[in-house]
Amino acid sequence: MHVLLGHSGDPCCTGVLARLSARGLPARIVASPLAPPARLTWRLDGGGLTSRLLLDDEPVVVTGVLVRGTAWVDPAGWAPEDHAYMQAEMLAVTLAWLAGLACPVVNRPSAARWYRGRDSLISWRPLLRRCGLPVPDQLITNDPARARAFGDRLAADGVDGVVYAPLTGDAGYLVGTDAAWRGLANVQERSPVCLSEPHGAARPACIVGGEIVWDDGPPPEARALEPRLRLLAATSGLDFLEVATAPFRGSLGVVLVEPMPVLEHFAPRSRARILDALTALLAPAAAAEPEAVA
Amino acid sequence: MILVCGGLADSVTELVCARLQDRGFPYRLLDLASYPARYSVAWRWTDAGPAGTIAGPGWVLDIDAITGVYVRFLGPEGRFPPEGDPEAAEALQFEADAGLMALLEDLPCPVVNRIGGGMSNNSKPYQALLLRRAGFEVPATLVTSDPAAARAFQAEHGDVIYKSASGIRSIVRRLGPAQLARLPFLRNGPAQFQAFVPGHNVRVHTVGDVVFATRIETDAVDYRYAHLDGLGVVMTPVTLPVAVETACLRAARELDLLFAGIDLKQTPEGEYVCFEINPCPGFIYYERHTGQPISAALADLLNGTAPAA
Repeated sequence: MHVLLGHSGDPCCTGVLARLSARGLPARIVASPLAPPARLTWRLDGGGLTSRLLLDDEPVVVTGVLVRGTAWVDPAGWAPEDHAYMQAEMLAVTLAWLAGLACPVVNRPSAARWYRGRDSLISWRPLLRRCGLPVPDQLITNDPARARAFGDRLAADGVDGVVYAPLTGDAGYLVGTDAAWRGLANVQERSPVCLSEPHGAARPACIVGGEIVWDDGPPPEARALEPRLRLLAATSGLDFLEVATAPFRGSLGVVLVEPMPVLEHFAPRSRARILDALTALLAPAAAAEPEAVA
Repeated sequence: MILVCGGLADSVTELVCARLQDRGFPYRLLDLASYPARYSVAWRWTDAGPAGTIAGPGWVLDIDAITGVYVRFLGPEGRFPPEGDPEAAEALQFEADAGLMALLEDLPCPVVNRIGGGMSNNSKPYQALLLRRAGFEVPATLVTSDPAAARAFQAEHGDVIYKSASGIRSIVRRLGPAQLARLPFLRNGPAQFQAFVPGHNVRVHTVGDVVFATRIETDAVDYRYAHLDGLGVVMTPVTLPVAVETACLRAARELDLLFAGIDLKQTPEGEYVCFEINPCPGFIYYERHTGQPISAALADLLNGTAPAA
């Protein structure tokens, strides 16, 4: 059985489920391998590693896993400290289970990826640099004068303003007016801020296995980035990765890396291609006999 | 110039600073108890990497001049109480720490330790897989949400202990009749069980390519809490077999840990079994009991006078 580890409302899970089912392959969306209706036993000893997943009290042979996320423990009925403990235990065990599966696991997580979740662009920079992918300049500072100097340097290159985007949040704010700079300086009294060079319109792309799906087709100048994007996916150990590219100061580079691609970022035709490619990753047409969990 | 990021009130960070001072190695302390308030930072990233400065009380450090970093992040208890709305203060502190982490991850010099390598410590069974790949024997381990599987494991091994599977610290305890009666609660969430391994605990600290091993003799199941059971602890420096030493260094290297604390047990038959690897070891306890020069080796590593693993 193919296990789609994630939320039943996630279009990636539902889309892959429909495709696997259409091919007559058993598959199921599972919110957590450790919460009803699932139960898990994981064992490591002199005989090696074995794991046993039960769904509705029936053992299943896991032939592939798509990792989209794992459910949080319902806090109802738990004391807050017990809930936090149990949540940590669930995450720890799920990671070990995924790491030890012998079958294909799309986006098999490392501990670093599993626990750090969504990283800001700045955290991806070392890897992007190693892959030769340009990234707009960024600055972290709690010094208002240095922030203004960063903006002034960009202005000299014809770029108006800077983008303030907290590393620990999703929002981004264009800072260009005097009032906005003053507001930024107020924040800087309490914490360094992360500023980025503004960029042009972003184009999403999805890397699925060796395939790169550009929304509405690839922009001509982006073709040159494709080998480097494949290298990024390979180096990060991710089979399924979303990036966004955008122009900035005469260059084209990466402005977003998302290890949990959002299907809604893509047009329907691109979505279908992504789901087809994902399904092929999980269940290659020429797949041999199902692999036993080991 | 060495950069130490930690709390001066933290005894481990204090010892690292004292040792650097003692050996005449220049360093700057970024005291995380008062970061970012008492510091001015400006780090600019281009495609060439980060550049910029950290300015503290009476000093400015160019990040290009940093030759080694020791970092030991603090919990809220180690920080000065926040001003204003506690929720906003906490969010801003997270933001400040995230920026510092981003810098440390991207510095080309040795960093003790980079964040990513230490994450495996949040999942003991995951780490056990990595340790086995590094060449260690690991104890027979069962993680389950199935009471029947736990009962079968106990019947097979007889003497079984249980402990957390996550990075949340727990006291290792034996599985006895009282715990067996509670096994039906496993349906609410999993627990980790291990066959009890008899023998002496051995704590290993790897500092780059240097290995310090300490044997711990006690009658307590978990020597860290021996005092709670009124039991004593005796610590002695020991030399490990070459194969075990090699496995320790390989595990640390594969987890990208320049400095690691590795928990082993030597069985009565003389075999070594590995339990876990700690990415931020509080080595002071071992150094004080045995006089092993762990902090001196760490100072050498940070100064570039000892080879990095």
